[in-house]
This record gives sequence, structure tokens and C-alpha cells, in this order.
Amino acid sequence: MRRIFPILSLHLKSFFKTPAAFVLMFVMPVLFSWIFGGMSVNSKQNKPVVNIVADRNETNTEIIKLLKKDKNFKWETETLKKARENVSNDMVIAAVAIPEDFQERIIGQRALFDVILQKKSQDYQALNAYLQGSARLISSSYQAADTLEASFSDVLAGVVNQKGIVVERQTIEKNPDNHVQVNLMVVGFAIMFMMFGLSGAASAILDERRNGTWGRLLISPARKGEIITGYLLSYFIMGWIQFAVLLAAIKFMFGSSWGSLSYLVPYTSLVIIMVTGFGLMIAGIVKTKQQAMALNSVLIVSTCMLGGVYWPLDIVPEFMQKIALAVPQSWAMSGFKEIMSGSLHSGILLKDILALLGFTVVFFAIGLRGMKFE
Amino acid sequence: MELLNVQHLRKSFGQLEAVKGVTFSVKKGESFGLLGPNGAGKSTTINMITGLFPPTSGSIFLHDIDVVKQPKQAQKRIGVVPQEIALYQEMSAWENLKFWGRIYGLNGSQLTRKVEEVLEIIGLSDRAKDKVSTFSGGMKRRVNIGAAILHNPELLIMDEPTVGIDPQSRNHILETVKQLNEEGMTVIYTSHYMEEVEYLCERIGIIDHGVVIASGTLKELREKMEDRSRIKLTIDGVKENAADINKVLAGHFSEKEFQFQDNQLIVFHKEPQLVLSELVHSVTETGTRITSVDIVEPNLESVFLHLTGRNLRD
Ligand SMILES: Nc1ncnc2c1ncn2[C@@H]1O[C@H](COP(=O)(O)OP(=O)(O)OP(=O)(O)O)[C@@H](O)[C@H]1O
Ligand SMILES: [Mg+2]
Repeated sequence: MRRIFPILSLHLKSFFKTPAAFVLMFVMPVLFSWIFGGMSVNSKQNKPVVNIVADRNETNTEIIKLLKKDKNFKWETETLKKARENVSNDMVIAAVAIPEDFQERIIGQRALFDVILQKKSQDYQALNAYLQGSARLISSSYQAADTLEASFSDVLAGVVNQKGIVVERQTIEKNPDNHVQVNLMVVGFAIMFMMFGLSGAASAILDERRNGTWGRLLISPARKGEIITGYLLSYFIMGWIQFAVLLAAIKFMFGSSWGSLSYLVPYTSLVIIMVTGFGLMIAGIVKTKQQAMALNSVLIVSTCMLGGVYWPLDIVPEFMQKIALAVPQSWAMSGFKEIMSGSLHSGILLKDILALLGFTVVFFAIGLRGMKFE
Repeated sequence: MELLNVQHLRKSFGQLEAVKGVTFSVKKGESFGLLGPNGAGKSTTINMITGLFPPTSGSIFLHDIDVVKQPKQAQKRIGVVPQEIALYQEMSAWENLKFWGRIYGLNGSQLTRKVEEVLEIIGLSDRAKDKVSTFSGGMKRRVNIGAAILHNPELLIMDEPTVGIDPQSRNHILETVKQLNEEGMTVIYTSHYMEEVEYLCERIGIIDHGVVIASGTLKELREKMEDRSRIKLTIDGVKENAADINKVLAGHFSEKEFQFQDNQLIVFHKEPQLVLSELVHSVTETGTRITSVDIVEPNLESVFLHLTGRNLRD
């Protein structure tokens, strides 16, 4: 078994000596993630601004605090005059005024807020929904104050300060999912580039066979098992290094979370092994490295499209979703989604794992059969 | 003491029988040459001995290790220089040697020492850190050999290690192998250059079409020729006049002693000087023109020619 190590380290070394592989495995995915991930995250960082116009009093302070709980907007208090200006200049999506006859309006069950706006943008739809929810919460608090014979502002303060209270959110935005989306996109890129990188590495076997080192290894004291293990371990490690770099890059660039590591690590390992098997299979069914490269490009790009690596499968027609089940990437992505969103439906995850295991076994069976030992 | 024993080795690739019952043995400390033209079955024989693929039938023993059944046991004791350069081109000579050394079980300071020593032997110490891909053909061949001797193999098997290189590298390689052999390493050397085999090998097997057609020491093989030199006459229109020439020569030589090849008439004789003028005279009588005359001392080439009617090299 001690001969595994020299084989392993030789391949890692020669891999890191190839600038192309380096670019493919690290630079490209990080760049892609940065550009595409950055796009969706940045659009979120430039939050739409909403002006608040209100007199200074205890109740209004609490209401403002409540409104500010929606972090999807940037809330800025302004005078009425300035707020009107901002709206007409399109500086803000809307201005929300807390009227003086606020409490009467609650009793009269009239609209609580006066909203000044120019056009009903998508952001306004989200804001509107949020305002409705907040209004309902405020009226309930008012009634509660009545029954409890406490002051309205105290009850409101209690409501606002309660951590668990989340204002009803009917927004059409999928912001809570935003990080998961970005993560999945990055994972998608990682999977694609890893498929390119690892199948490129695996097709090096073909080169080795041609340049004689494969034959020389076979007539050395190294056993077949040692040789195969050395090769496969080197691919596995390459895959992991790439993934780890991406994980770090994502954390650094977007500050997003990766879900439970105790799921993520073994799951990622399985995906990497599957991808290794894929590369091995391609190397096993073609004769030259050029053929392998050509076949790889076609197969990887097409299956990544089908498997929902470039776009979420939810947006494709149903028959495409069915087809997606035939490519491993769809399962891989599904599992990553479960783990990273933190939802962890064990049923779904188990199915993904079993499917990936199936693909892995088939790939290895074909790949190892294609490894020529003469 | 017998180190390697090969018995009735056969190998078929589909319809083609590349090796048809090769038998020979190599003693410890000996240098054994396998001489034969392209496609004779040298590499196929070597590949079976090194355990790359099993023979269709026959047996190979290294000491008492059955190479067919326990190739890994045998491979530890064998160093192989493959016919094709088998190195990692993008790695340096140093890295290549280090890698193969580790594969053959060396490590630590012993490995480093051995790599340095081998670099010295193959004369590449000053280029050790350069990528193999930047080397000349001859330098690559030397690294190819270096990788096979790191672990002090009992048996060094070299498959045409000098193909396609400059004379200087070739001489270096031949001297290196001779040196290794003199220091006690047993060597099997295949080639289609008879000069190399003559220079290096104590015992020689001549292989053609998958069969060993003659074997023995250089002396024994020469005796097969009964120490006859070759007189090569290049003649204009030798083919057209073959019948005439045949007739004239028949009076002076037995049929076995001369043959036609391409535009040459070849005559085997112990004392070429004595018959030369007579020979030239007879041939000129037929009205043909002799353009050159050449006398070659008995060598392996003539043995091969004598046995097969063909040249070693085409
Ligand atoms: N793997 C193979 N499959 C089919 N035929 C083969 C294979 N290897 C060798 N042969 C054939 O077997 C015969 C002997 O080949 P081999 O390589 O042993 O010759 P050789 O003596 O080493 O020649 P050379 O001097 O050119 O290296 C040739 O006709 C060759 O075409
Ligand atoms: Mg050969």
C-alpha cells in the first residue's frame, strides 16, 4: 500500500503544474461565481429606499421600529416636503406617512398609512404587502392595549421588541432564498468546472498509456489496486481542494452560510467521487485524450443544462424536469439545496444520495473495465 | 547459477503468432543479447518476461519465482528499460528518478543518494532539475535507463535502449551497460544492431519470426559460419545475369557458399584474399560490370544472413 503515496503525490504535483488545470479548477469557477453571484447579491445590497414621514412621539417611534424590521428596504425618516421631492425624483420607491389621526383610523378601520408614490413598481408591491401586514399587527396591538388597559405605545413596544415576531410577509420576493440561490449557483459552477477538471485529469491516463509510463507502472512492483487507488485518490483530493477553495471564496465574497457541515462534507465527498467516476468512464470508453476532451465538453455542458446547473429546474417545463432525473447533476443539486437551505428533508436527501450512489457505481463499473492492464 | 529460465514461450495476438516457442536461459552475472530484425518478437518476449502480459503458453522462472504466476515477486528484482521512453515529460529528471525509485521501494536519504548516484552514472547531474521534455532524444534515453537501475536490480532487461539516438549518447549508454554488467548486474539486451550485441553480450540468441534460430557465445556463432568472411560484389544487372553468373561460379564454389541479394552477389569464404581475383575474373567473363567489392569479416550479420538469407536491417 505504500506505493499509493508516490503515485498520488505525483499526480497532484503534475496537476498543479498545469496552468490550464489551475485556471479551470479555481480561477474560472471563482470568477463565474463572483460575477453571477455578485449580480444577484448586489441587486439586494442596493436596497430600495422608503421614506417615513412622522411626528415625533412615543407611538410613532415604535411604529417606525416595527417598519424597520423589514430589512429588504432601507428606511429613512424625512420631512413631508423632502419626501415628496424624493418620490418625484425617483430617489425612493415611496414615502410612508404616519398620519396624526392614526388612532382614529384604527378605530374607524380605515387605511392606516398614507403612501406617496409615483409608480406601482415591483418593489412597491412588496412594500404594500408589508405595510398591510404591519397595519394589521398594529391594530391588533391597539385592541390588545384596550383590553389590557395598558398604553398603546407600551404594547407596541412589547410587540416590536419580541424577537420571534415576524411581520407577515406576503412579498413576491424570494429574498429569504437568495443566499441559497447564490450558493446553488456557485455549487453548480463548481460541479461543472470540477467535471471538466477531473475528467481532464482522468483522461491523462490515456496520455500515460501512450507515453509508456502506464506500462512501466504495470511492470513495476506496484499492484493494480495501488495504482488505481493512487490515481483515484489524487482526483478526489483535487476535487476537494477545488470545492474547499470555492466554499471559502463564497463565504468571503457573499458571506453566505453552507448549512450543516456534518452533512455538507460527506455529501460533497460523494458528489466528488461521482464526478471522478464520470471522468474515469469517459477515459475508459475513448482511445485518445483529444477524444476524451471532445466527448467531455459535449457531455458535461449538455448534462449540466439538463441537470439544472445553470438555472433552477423549477423554471423548465415538466418533461424537462423528468429528463433531468436521468443526469446526476440534478440529484447533486437537489441534495445541495436541501443541505444549504437548512431544510434537510431526510427523505429527499436520502433519495438524492441513493441516486448519486447508483450513478457512481455505474460510472466506476464502466470506467474500471475500460482501464487497460496490458 | 541460472537466474532466468524461459521455456517454450508462445504468444499469439489474435491470428498472429508473434512468439513461437522461445527457449533460453540466462546465468547470473551474464549479459545475454537477443538479436533480431524489426517485428522478430523481441519486445513481445521481453514483455512476457517482465510480466506485462502472460504468455499464451510456456514458462518463465526467475530463480524459483514463477513469473507468470507471481509477477509482482519477480518485478521487484527486475529493472526494465522499455523500448519506448516511459517518463513523465513535464517532470524533471530528478522528479522522475525519485518517483520510480519510490515505486521500487526506496525512500528517505537512501533514495536521494541513489538518485544522485544514478544521475552521475547517466551523466545528467547538471541537468537534473530540467524538465524531461526539454531533453534531447539521447538524454531521455539515458533517464529512461536510469529509472530502471535505481533499485539495483538483479536482472536488467533492456529493450532496444539505443533506438534513434546520436552516436555519442549511444556510446555512453553502451559503456554504462558494460560497466553495470562488469559490476555484477545480469543483463538482457535486445537490439537489431549486431555491433551493440557483439560489444556487450557474452551470449547471444538470434531471433527471427518469433523463433530463436541460433544461440551461443559470439565465438560459437562465428563457428557456425565456419569462420567464413563475406565477399560482397555489387554488380550492374546482377538479376538479369544471375543464371550466367550461377553457371560460372558453380565450377568454383558449392551452392551454399554464394547467394544473390538485391544488386549484390555474396560469397562466403574462409580466405577471401585467395579467391578474390578468380571470383572477379569469373564474373567479368559473363559480361557484367562490377561496381564495388567489399570484404566483411565474419560477424553476427553474416550469421543472420547465412541462416535466413536476409539482412538484419532492411
Ligand atoms: N499488442 C499487439 N497486438 C498485436 N500484434 C502485436 C502486438 N505487439 C506486437 N505485435 C506483433 O507481433 C510481432 C512481434 O512484435 P515485437 O514488437 O515483439 O517485435 P520486435 O522484435 O520487438 O520488433 P522491433 O525491433 O521493431 O521492436 C509483430 O508482427 C507485431 O506487429
Ligand atoms: Mg521491440
